[in-house]
Amino acid sequence: MRSMIVLLCGTLLGACTLVAAAASAPSSLPATSIYRIPPLTLMNQNGQTFTFASLAGKPRLLGMFYASCQMACPVEIETLKQVEHQVVKAGGQPIPVLLVTFDPAHDDLAALKKAAAQHHVSAPEFQLSRALSGDIGMLGGVLGVSWRPLPGGGFQHNVVVALLDRAGRIIATDPANGRADPAFVAAIVREERAAH
Amino acid sequence: MKRILATAITLAIGCAALASNAHASPLPAGWTCTPALCGAPQGKPIVEQLLPPPEVPAPITRHYPAKVIVNLEAREVVGTLADGVKYDFYTFNGTVPGPMIRVRVGDTVEIRLKNAHSDHMPHNIDLHAVMGTGGGAANSIVIPGHEGAFEFKALHAGFFVYHCAMAPAAVHIANGMYGAIMVEPADGLPKVDKEFYVMQGEFYTQGAYMQPGLQSLDMTKLLDEQPTYVVFNGRVGSLTGEHALHAKEGQTVRFFFANGGPNLTSSFHMIGGIWNTVWPWGGSNEDHNVQTISVPPGGAVIADMKLVVPGTFMLVDHAAVRMFNKGALGQLVVSGPEQPTLYRALWNRPFAPAGAMPAAASSAH
Amino acid sequence: MLRALMGLLLLAALMPRPAPADAAAPRFVTVPGGQLVSSLLDGTRTVTVQMAPFAMLEEPVTEAQFAAFLRAHPEWQRGHIAVLFAGPNYLASWLTPTDPGDAQAARRPVTDVSWFAARAYCDSLQAELPSWYQWEYAAAASSSNRDARANMARRNAILAALMHVTGQRPGLIGQRPANVYGLRDLNRLIWEWVSDYGAMFPDVNGDVGSAGSGSVLRLCGGAALAFRDPSDYALAERVAALSMLAPADSSPFVGFRCVRKPGDSP
Repeated sequence: MRSMIVLLCGTLLGACTLVAAAASAPSSLPATSIYRIPPLTLMNQNGQTFTFASLAGKPRLLGMFYASCQMACPVEIETLKQVEHQVVKAGGQPIPVLLVTFDPAHDDLAALKKAAAQHHVSAPEFQLSRALSGDIGMLGGVLGVSWRPLPGGGFQHNVVVALLDRAGRIIATDPANGRADPAFVAAIVREERAAH
Repeated sequence: MKRILATAITLAIGCAALASNAHASPLPAGWTCTPALCGAPQGKPIVEQLLPPPEVPAPITRHYPAKVIVNLEAREVVGTLADGVKYDFYTFNGTVPGPMIRVRVGDTVEIRLKNAHSDHMPHNIDLHAVMGTGGGAANSIVIPGHEGAFEFKALHAGFFVYHCAMAPAAVHIANGMYGAIMVEPADGLPKVDKEFYVMQGEFYTQGAYMQPGLQSLDMTKLLDEQPTYVVFNGRVGSLTGEHALHAKEGQTVRFFFANGGPNLTSSFHMIGGIWNTVWPWGGSNEDHNVQTISVPPGGAVIADMKLVVPGTFMLVDHAAVRMFNKGALGQLVVSGPEQPTLYRALWNRPFAPAGAMPAAASSAH
Repeated sequence: MLRALMGLLLLAALMPRPAPADAAAPRFVTVPGGQLVSSLLDGTRTVTVQMAPFAMLEEPVTEAQFAAFLRAHPEWQRGHIAVLFAGPNYLASWLTPTDPGDAQAARRPVTDVSWFAARAYCDSLQAELPSWYQWEYAAAASSSNRDARANMARRNAILAALMHVTGQRPGLIGQRPANVYGLRDLNRLIWEWVSDYGAMFPDVNGDVGSAGSGSVLRLCGGAALAFRDPSDYALAERVAALSMLAPADSSPFVGFRCVRKPGDSP
């Protein structure tokens, strides 16, 4: 099913999100599922295309970033790597991470690839992605991430990383500001066990 | 040389004495939390009975710390600033000032703030009785149609202002969004016969003083700190005529007087009276036989007066233009028999000139 | 853009959409580029922005226009909308999920809509919410001047207009002259959602809070740190009112309008 969507997206970008929405955002999603945002098509650092809603099904971490960010986003990514490490140490599984750029005008495939290489993260476990279609503002809104381009370049923004359960409900959030919060790590391990 | 040394020693001793005095300046018992006074709240939570000004909640008679719940609502209302003059007020619970809150030192106070659905602005509350960031402001911001709550321990007794601190705070305060809270010392204040709650505040209107109709905030006047109105309890005439305060000769009255501002310091005075006891700044020190008390914006005083003669006493900001031309005037009517040994009229009559007045110089022609 | 267009076409094909007679087609007018000295500081620094030209809706979106959108996009109707996107006050005063129950619906700005719904509406026009800078730049203009913000009489009048409606619904569109760009009712009628309202202020620690956190404005006296000219109270009230809202919140006094690139067909 997913490959069909991808195929559709590749050939007919405009219509794909509607099809994808019909295919992958079943009404069985709870009312507070973040996957209920209007259709969003993403591409990761490997050039793979997928719909946001197709990610439902397993717990994951979700955040936003931009590649030319000097401070907060590198810290965000490194913190998430620490979190992964702590989760494994606590007996959990590495949890998939999806970060979506809010600077799609600059973050093309090459920029995503470069950022992934710099931080030694690789898909599908750790995806850096950009929207091909759809409104990332909606994603930011439900996630609690706000940004504003500054005239001198860069963004005024905040960092929120959410732990989503498999249905896409926000279970916990973390500012990912340099320290792997034990409470956040514990929430991830708990959620992974609940999902099994 | 010896003399200089001696002076230095004297100075040093003097300073030391002063310093130790400052430290030893006795804090009256029961005005600040001690472990014995301020343990965990006891009994059932108490829902504070809130009354419109100038009414004051009853003194606290309990001798243990309690949990007190205070229900406040931010309301933007069109109200009366003076006869024929309307204004868009920002209020707590629909009145200016908001209701007086009364708790005991050591109480755990839960402030619940609703913001009416019909309001435009987010509002919050900063209580000067709170030790905590923003006096609670940061944790009480509510948008219209929402409610929020926070809790604090009343660590220090005193009479304190509360106000909305939502940006732009000067506007919220200038529109009337303030009130006051009395944190009673453990053994309470000395008993008096009557208590009144009065707050001063200024209003900056686009129209001139007493110009009828709906008036709006004038930003230029506000920025220049040149109010059109300086009033007690939110309107001209809130404490005069049919709204005058009443007491009887022989009674001791207490004013819980606070200043919302936003800008002017009040020179609080009772025409025809001397304050027997005041707690300047609303704090624990007592002072006696005081004529006029400075009450800064965001400040307060407790002032007691024993009424020994009958008459009409005028409560004013003694900055004279404010009482005569801007509305800062209240009345306390004291009934009872005349006390000629304390105060009486003697005469009022013509008296003979000492000599002929010199003629006016006729330089005009 | 393409997606939205296709979406519209598909939806138009899928469902019969009775066009309400009273919903005027939204009209964009072009705002030329220029320089904006923003009222918002970047930390403590004044920000000067080179504005590219853009097209902006002449008027705030009306109740009638929003009702038409809801008929075409039932997922944004009260009752259907996901709780992520709207609170209990969302269009709560409407007679039905698609009928404002207002005889003046064609001239009344729609309010009580969440930021999410406003975005979705603009998306349906292949447009988007303006950025704060775009709104500020457009709203700085009076009927005779491209930047009338320093005019104290105008500030007073704006504040008075906003305060005079205490306890009432917003008034009707078009009671006042358009500004030099041909835009109406930017300042005195309602507050308007902007796309980046959630990140208007840096937080005390340099980060921005989440939308609705109010950030520096939470601090008593914070406004003194937030604005280039803290005495522009009308603007400060607007920013404060907006910045305390979460994106799913709605307010009877917050509506919106949309922008898009200039030159796109109407």
